[in-house]
Amino acid sequence: MQNTVLRVKSLSKSFSNVKAINNISFTVNQGDIFAFLGPNGAGKTTTLRILLDIIKADDGQIEWNLEGSSNHLPQTSQIGYLPEERGLYLDIPILKSLVYLASIRGMDKTEAKKTALEWLERLDLADRAKEKLQVLSKGNQQKIQFIASILHKPAFAILDEPFSGLDPLNQEIFIEFIKEINKQGTTILLSAHQMQLVEKTANKLLLINKGEELYNGSLSGIYETHGNRQVIELHYKSGLNENSLNSIGEVEKIEIVDNALVKLTFGPNKEMKSILSALSKQEGDFDITSHKPSLHDIFLNLIKSL
Amino acid sequence: MSYIKQVITVTRWEFGRFFKPKNEAIGILIMLIVSVVFYFGSKYAFSDKSPEIKIFVHNDTNGGLTEVLKNDFDVKQLPSEQKDSFIRKLDVDKNLVLIDKKEDAIGLYAYKNNRDIKKLKNYIDVYHKQKEMQKLGLSAEQLSLVLSSAPIEESYIYTDNSRNRVILAYFFAGLMIMAVFLSFAYQFTAITGEKQLKITEQIVSAISPQVWMDGKILGITLTGISSMITYSFLSIIGGIIFFQFSGLPISAILDYLYLPSIVLYLPFALIGVLIWNAILAAIASIITDPNNSGKSSMMMLPIVFVISSFLVTREPDSGLSIFLSWFPLTSASSMPMRWAITEVGIWQLIGSFMLLVLTFYSLRKIAAKIFRVSILMTGKEPSWTEVYKFMNMK
Repeated sequence: MQNTVLRVKSLSKSFSNVKAINNISFTVNQGDIFAFLGPNGAGKTTTLRILLDIIKADDGQIEWNLEGSSNHLPQTSQIGYLPEERGLYLDIPILKSLVYLASIRGMDKTEAKKTALEWLERLDLADRAKEKLQVLSKGNQQKIQFIASILHKPAFAILDEPFSGLDPLNQEIFIEFIKEINKQGTTILLSAHQMQLVEKTANKLLLINKGEELYNGSLSGIYETHGNRQVIELHYKSGLNENSLNSIGEVEKIEIVDNALVKLTFGPNKEMKSILSALSKQEGDFDITSHKPSLHDIFLNLIKSL
Repeated sequence: MSYIKQVITVTRWEFGRFFKPKNEAIGILIMLIVSVVFYFGSKYAFSDKSPEIKIFVHNDTNGGLTEVLKNDFDVKQLPSEQKDSFIRKLDVDKNLVLIDKKEDAIGLYAYKNNRDIKKLKNYIDVYHKQKEMQKLGLSAEQLSLVLSSAPIEESYIYTDNSRNRVILAYFFAGLMIMAVFLSFAYQFTAITGEKQLKITEQIVSAISPQVWMDGKILGITLTGISSMITYSFLSIIGGIIFFQFSGLPISAILDYLYLPSIVLYLPFALIGVLIWNAILAAIASIITDPNNSGKSSMMMLPIVFVISSFLVTREPDSGLSIFLSWFPLTSASSMPMRWAITEVGIWQLIGSFMLLVLTFYSLRKIAAKIFRVSILMTGKEPSWTEVYKFMNMK
C-alpha cells in the first residue's frame, strides 16, 4: 500500500466576497505525479500557496507526512516550489542565485554548486553559469527557475504552471524531467491548464473550476468514469444539411462546430456497428474520424454538465 | 535547518549583495578627491588675493586713530586740500579708503562696503571706545582693567571634562547617520526590487518571513556597519596624518579614543541602526511601486534621528533632551550625546538601552508580519489602515 504524504481535508478560502476554493479535499501518495487541472482563476495557485503556508486557509486541514515525519508544515529541505509568478535575481550570476536558493533550503553549498552545474549542463546552459539571469531568454529563465525548485532534491515538489512560457519542444523536455525526478523519488504536485500535457505526465488528477472540485482520482479513472463514450467527427466536403442529423437516433450530444464539422458523442453502450449504420443513411459527402474523448473534452463536458 | 543557520545564510547573502569592497574603495577615493578639492578650493576661495586697502586718514591731528590702525593696515595722513580730489579718485582706485575725523562722527569713504571695510570698522570701534574712556580721565592701566574679564574662581561638584567625549559622540552620531542612510538605500532597493522581480514568493516558500526579515535587517545593517568601520579607520588615519602635520604627538589621537565612551557608544549605535533598518524594511515591504508610492516619503523618517542629535547638544538637561534620550527612535544617538555633555546616571543608560533593545525586538516582529501579508500584494498597495490590521494579525 502506498504511503500518503499529503492529505488535504475540506480546504476553503475566500478573498473579500469571492470564494477562491470551496471545500477541496485530496490526498497525494508517495511517488505520485498529482495534477491540479483547471482554467485560469480556478483556485489552483491559491491552494498551492496555502499548502506552503504563504497564505492561510479560512477552513480545512492539511497533514504532511514526508519521509516519516508528520507535521503541519514539512521541513524546508523537503519541499521544492516553482511559483506561478516567476522571479529570480536578475543582476546576480545564475550559479550564485541557484546555490543561494538551494542553501536556504538546507543544501550544502559545495553539493549545490556541483548539482546546479550538472543541471545547467543538461539544459545546455553550463557555459552561461556565470552570466546574469537578465541576459537569458524568457524560456531559458524558465529553465533556471525549474532548476531552482528541484536542485536540493526535495521529497515533494510543487510546480505551479511548469509548462507556461515554454515552446512545444521544451514542454516535452520538461515532461521528461518531471518524470525523471519523480522516478528518483520526488513526489510531484503540479498545476496546469494544458490538459494534453498533463495527460502525458500525471497519474492522478484533481479537476477544479471556480474553486469547486469536479473530479478527484486517477487519470485512468476519469476515462473510465467520464470517457467511456465515442466521439465521431463528420468532416463535410460539400456543406452540412442540419435536418439530416435528426435521423441519427440515440446520440448523446451533437456539436455543430461549423458548416464543415460536426461532433457527435455517443453513450457508453452504443456499438460502433449501429453508429456506422446510422451514419450511412446521412445525406452529403463527408469523411468520418473517431476517437475517445480527450481530457480536454471531458473537462468541458463536466463544466457544461454543472 | 535551524532558525539561526537560516538567518546566517540570508544575512551573508544580503551582506554579499550590497557590500562591494570595490565600490567601497571607489567611494573612499571619490571622498578623498572631493575633500582635497574642497580643502584647496576653499583655501583658494577664501584667500585674500585682493590688494590690501590703502587707508588715508584726514584730520587725525593727535595721530590716535593712525596709531590704532598702523599695525594691521597701510595708513597715511591726508592733507586737507587733497580731500575732495581724493574722494573723486575712489571711483578709479578702488582700494583707497578715506577716514575723515569730524567733530562728532567719523566719515568713512570707500568704493564699496566689503570684508576689509567690516574689519576696519571694528578697529574704528575700538579707537572710539578708548577715546571715550580717556575723556573720563582713565589711565592706560585703568583702561586695561576695565576691558579685562572678571576674575572668577570656578568650583563645581560635577565637571564633565567632556570635550573629547563630545567629539567622539559626534563622530559616532555621524557614523550612525551614515549607516542609517546607507541602509535606507539598500533596504529600499532590496525589498522593493525583490517584490517587483517576484522573488519573494520563492524565498518565503523556503524560509519563514521572520527569518527573511531578520536576515535582511542583519545583513543590511552589517553593510552599513562595515562602511562605518571603514570610515572610522580612515578617520583615525586622517587624524594621525593631521597630528603629524600640526606638530602634535600622534598619541594625541588616543585622547579621543576613550575606551569607556566607545564601550557605551558602540552598542547604542548598533541597536540604533538595527531599529532603523527594521522600520525601513517594514515600510519598504508595503511599497509596491517605488516610483509612484506615496509611502516612499516615509523613508525620510531617519532625519528625525539626525535632528534629535543636534537638539540634545544645545540644551542637554531640558525636558525635550531627556525625552529624546529615552525615546527609542532617537535615543541611540541622544543618550550617548547627553552622557558626553551632562550628568547621566548609570540607571538611565541601562534603562534607555533596554528600551532600545525591546523596541528592536518588537519592530522586527512587526516588520515580518507586515511583509508576510503584503508580499503578494503586487498590484495594490495596502492602505495605512490595512497595515495596522497586518500588525495585529496572529
